[in-house]
Amino acid sequence: MSDRPVADGGSTADGDPTVEMAEQAERDEPDLDRGVFEAWAAKAISNPNRAYRATFYVATIFFLVTTLFPFYWLFVIAMTPRNALSTTGVLTPGGTPRAAVDLPLIDAALSVPVGLGPINPGSFVDIFQTLPFHRYVFNSFLIATVATVAVLFVGSLAGYVFGRLDFRGRNPLLLLVLVTSFFPPAAFFIPLNRLFNANVDVLRPLISAGSLYNTPYAIFIPLSAIFLPLAIFILMTFYSQIPDGLEDAARVEGTTRIGALFRVIVPLSAPGVATAGVLTFISVYNEYFFSSLMTDGQPGNWAPMLEGTLRFQGEFEVLYNLMAASSIVAVLPVAILVVVAQEKIVSGLTTGAVKE
Amino acid sequence: MASVTLSGVTKRYEDVTAVNEMNLEIDDGEFVTFVGPSGCGKSTTMETIAGLTLPTGGTIEIGGREVTDLPPKDRGISMVFQNIALFPHMDVYDNISFGLRLRKYEQEEVDRRVDEAADIVQLNEMMDQPDAFLMDEPLANLDAELKVHMRTQLQRLHRELDTTIVYVTHDQAQAMTMSDRIAVMNRGVLQQVAPPLECYNEPANRFVAGFIGSPAMNFLKGEVVDGGFESQYTDVDFDPAAHGVRPGRGVTAGVRPEDIYLERAAEEAESPTKPFDAVVDVIEPMGSEVFVYLLFDRDVETSAEGRGEGQLLINLDPDTEVTEGDDVRVVLDREKTHLFDRESGDAITHSLE
Repeated sequence: MSDRPVADGGSTADGDPTVEMAEQAERDEPDLDRGVFEAWAAKAISNPNRAYRATFYVATIFFLVTTLFPFYWLFVIAMTPRNALSTTGVLTPGGTPRAAVDLPLIDAALSVPVGLGPINPGSFVDIFQTLPFHRYVFNSFLIATVATVAVLFVGSLAGYVFGRLDFRGRNPLLLLVLVTSFFPPAAFFIPLNRLFNANVDVLRPLISAGSLYNTPYAIFIPLSAIFLPLAIFILMTFYSQIPDGLEDAARVEGTTRIGALFRVIVPLSAPGVATAGVLTFISVYNEYFFSSLMTDGQPGNWAPMLEGTLRFQGEFEVLYNLMAASSIVAVLPVAILVVVAQEKIVSGLTTGAVKE
Repeated sequence: MASVTLSGVTKRYEDVTAVNEMNLEIDDGEFVTFVGPSGCGKSTTMETIAGLTLPTGGTIEIGGREVTDLPPKDRGISMVFQNIALFPHMDVYDNISFGLRLRKYEQEEVDRRVDEAADIVQLNEMMDQPDAFLMDEPLANLDAELKVHMRTQLQRLHRELDTTIVYVTHDQAQAMTMSDRIAVMNRGVLQQVAPPLECYNEPANRFVAGFIGSPAMNFLKGEVVDGGFESQYTDVDFDPAAHGVRPGRGVTAGVRPEDIYLERAAEEAESPTKPFDAVVDVIEPMGSEVFVYLLFDRDVETSAEGRGEGQLLINLDPDTEVTEGDDVRVVLDREKTHLFDRESGDAITHSLE
């Protein structure tokens, strides 16, 4: 490409007087001798929308490939039999068995790919038979759901107070909420782990061991607290935009303040609630740190899906194909949730971004 | 249906007193309008009656029951708001039946009343059969024609329902046309509570005189002298002693535009003053009448901020022949001339006869 500009410069330099050049430019310069790319560039300059469209497609394809390729690769690995994992290619999920071909004259053999190996969808069944992986997913799903409900409920109350009421100390309190969200979660871990391992007599009637370790609460309580500030901020923004008249009308018609919040303000802020809810759900469902350390990893002890995936990594061998299959299965609930809530999330994120 | 009683109601925000020592009794079935300029505290008063705002001091009774600290839902009121009539996330049925469902009515009863409401009235706030209706500028967002139509419609509704209605507006025309009594407010203080015509003919003070009536009353600053009122541009003869004022007191005279006549029509006035000179400044023909802005002399400066000293607005017959720049002679009707104390603004007399 480097010689093109020179040729281009030459062709314009030894061209006709400037008036004629302008005329040529107006005719989209069809006569100039140019390569495909230069012709395209010239057209793009006179009509920038072409360039924008091209950039759009390039960027879109780039993002699609970078986000979707890992999933495709997981899928390829999941479909590969364990013994063929080392010969798997991007387009050959079953691996490529090789045969040794003796080379004539020299005493050597060349390993040549011969055909495709069998693909193995059975991994998606094996993960449930080797381990109760469905129980791990259920644990995660339950913890994430409970955490989401709790965060939305508490976040709604707090968002209402911060968004719609004017009281002394509102801003310092809001700042305090913000500050707590800046603590690295790891800083909480050791004290929380010790706390949850301690036997608390009060809990004895509720939880057999008397401690929160190996219970869903050990994951759901700290994670709810960590993701609450974000939810409060999102909900506060949305609730503050609902006109006062609507709330007043609901209260006069017979609701309490809290009744008006859940009957009128929350339904009208559906995009914000969906955004906060989905963000919380995904974050809790995907969370690694607390999820891997607050239980002993047994499915019956409320170990989350992450532990299930890690269980396929044994002492002597790593079942990569099963880990890949379990990862795909684990993504499904979140994928479904996002597809369902997508419209609301998109409008929710943008609305929250534009309005202060 | 119930009476509404406010005793010493005060609402103070950090540094502002929105409502100050409000005392008012609204009778059962009465239509009372709070009227006043923006920020006078009329909406705040309404909100304290509704329970949306708790007063800083004083008590509120509805139907003889003290409700000062009750939440809105337990006060037996319905309220119509300026902007919001409907919940956007509900359909028509849900909107109309919202209050009924909250109050746990039977499904059949809800259906029956929703049908009824859809047939007759179009306001869901009418559904609960409350003790009192509160209406906060319900017509403010309507166009002019519909506003006038709804005014008559609301009066019919009041007659049919025979319910206590408390109405808030800044539009004195709505207050005049619909109310049994008007409560005029300014800066958080109740100025006068009286039937519309009494507010119009016997305003309690300068503020009420200037606020009620459109176009507004003319005011002339001056003072009481022996045998009459004297101002920079004109004077009016009357007997100060008969009205309990002493010469030397600073007063403001008030005359409504329709109580000023051209000299040639002076006999229409019940008690004309002696004529004085003026110049026609601007003419506003309205069809049924003509508003004429006069200047007492050609040197008077006019400003964009409204009628100042030395200007006079009069209301003439549409076929009166005047043109801009004419010299005219006009008389005031002494019988309809008000006097207000210049310091306090309180009315001294409503007739100089």
